Amino acid sequence: MSKQTRRRLSRWGLFFLTLAIVILVNLPIITMALNSLRTTAEIMSERSFWPKNPSLINYQYVSSRTQFWTFFRNSLIVAISGTAICIAAASLAGYALSRFRIKLTAGYSRLLLMIQMFPIILALIPLFILFKNLGLINTYFSVIIIYTVAQLPFATWMFRSFFDSIPIDLEEAAQIDGCSRLQAFRYVVLPLCAAAFAAVTIFAFLFNYNEYLIANIFLRSEATMTIPVGIQMFMQQYGTDIGNLMAAATLAMIPTFIMFLFVQKYMLYTAVGGAVKG
Amino acid sequence: MGVTTVERRRTVASPKRRRRIEWLPYWLVMPSLLLILLINLYPFATGFLYSLRDGTMLQEGNFVGLSNYVALISNSEFHHSLLFSVVFALGGVFGSYLIGMALALLLNKDMPLRGFFRVALLVPWIIPSIVSIISWRWMINDQTGLLNLALSGLGLEPVYLLSTERQAMFAVIVVKIWRSFPFMMLSLLAALQTIDHTLYEASQIDGAGRWQSFRFITFPHLRDLSIVLWILMTIWSVNDFETPYLLTGGGPSNATENLIVLAYRYTFRRNDVGSGTAIAFVTLILLMILALLLLRRQSSEQESQGENNE
Repeated sequence: MSKQTRRRLSRWGLFFLTLAIVILVNLPIITMALNSLRTTAEIMSERSFWPKNPSLINYQYVSSRTQFWTFFRNSLIVAISGTAICIAAASLAGYALSRFRIKLTAGYSRLLLMIQMFPIILALIPLFILFKNLGLINTYFSVIIIYTVAQLPFATWMFRSFFDSIPIDLEEAAQIDGCSRLQAFRYVVLPLCAAAFAAVTIFAFLFNYNEYLIANIFLRSEATMTIPVGIQMFMQQYGTDIGNLMAAATLAMIPTFIMFLFVQKYMLYTAVGGAVKG
Repeated sequence: MGVTTVERRRTVASPKRRRRIEWLPYWLVMPSLLLILLINLYPFATGFLYSLRDGTMLQEGNFVGLSNYVALISNSEFHHSLLFSVVFALGGVFGSYLIGMALALLLNKDMPLRGFFRVALLVPWIIPSIVSIISWRWMINDQTGLLNLALSGLGLEPVYLLSTERQAMFAVIVVKIWRSFPFMMLSLLAALQTIDHTLYEASQIDGAGRWQSFRFITFPHLRDLSIVLWILMTIWSVNDFETPYLLTGGGPSNATENLIVLAYRYTFRRNDVGSGTAIAFVTLILLMILALLLLRRQSSEQESQGENNE
């Protein structure tokens, strides 16, 4: 066997091994998506992997007979507002961390690391009592402001590492041309970071959209519930109606996938960038 | 990394800008700081006061000193949750690290469709927790789950993962590993791709086998990152509420209740705010001790390594 054939064989050997692992890892998700195309009776009786007569009847039920789209709208409102405020605050702080190495920024950086360690439940108990006294339970505001802060450390670190990669000479040149420091930030740095902004935005959105614990504590009425809380309620109420549950869960996953495809190439930044720089 | 930071600091703090106090960074950090004060530091302080009282959601209660904390010492539910949190975190960290490492090494090899596989393996990490739990509950469901169908197809006894205590603990840890390994894989893969290939070629010439090149080239390169990953994953596992709560609700009979789920149940179900916040504080203290120990060990190892190199 020549060296080249052996190399090609090992390439395809690795390919099939990885393919098998990918399928095995995603088996719960694949099964769920396939089951969403069967009626509950078929799920209980059919023993085949592929649905025999796939239909969208569960999706019809979920979309017309449940509050799914209300939950969806709530999720969008909460996730988008939380993301927007977080991006605004974190990009400014990230710029400060990147360009001003003073006691303030060092201390702030350490503070971010500390609050990253906080068990979130520790903040949620007093906030629940506070918001209850202020009549803010079941309002979007309560969850939006907590989401904003929950994403701050990660978003700030990501912005900082993006700003670090932009040479300071560019801003200094703009300042010589008569820009103020803030104008230099606005007109020189920000346009260079458009892609970074998109990435951080989508990441923060994904986290907010997926979040369960905070939404579960603060949004208890069906009018304000987000998708994860709503689906958990389905799970308790229609525990036996597997078909509809699977359809609702599969639907809930679709926005996540779409967003994810846009940012997957930035994944590496989040994974280690922030963590190692600390 | 340290060197570039120092250099940058020099360029930024040039004498021109040092003349007067620069207020801009204070303004830039202000909005974030205010938000953190309100949402993190205020509850942190009031939460501590709550843990010293025997209050409920409606009433502030009386000052009881440290008795909420003292009561935890003899509380068997707390003992179990503490133990389960440790097992859960250890299982989660090592399981996801080993699987993540194996897959990172695999994906670092040349093969067709590698980019697609990398993305496909991230799915468990990015989907909403409730979705992953629903899909898993169906897999390991008592009678009709795919797992038991496969077992009965092989002529084996079915397993009831969610209804017996030990097996439920096992199931929660498996699902935690499933949800966390992609993060490990991604981080390790990023670091693997920065290793210089000539090192491996040189070691092959010197007669090193595969294990030896992993042991002496790959792992040392990943060591600092690995420690960071262990710390992060430990914090995230100890603080994880969604995996145990959504999968088993903490049951059967509290077997899969970690400290966070316990704090949640005491506060929001039993309306015992004092004990709930006390549990949350104990969790925070344990995490801080752990992080300090690991970080100290890391820095002392780095120092001794530096000495060895000199």
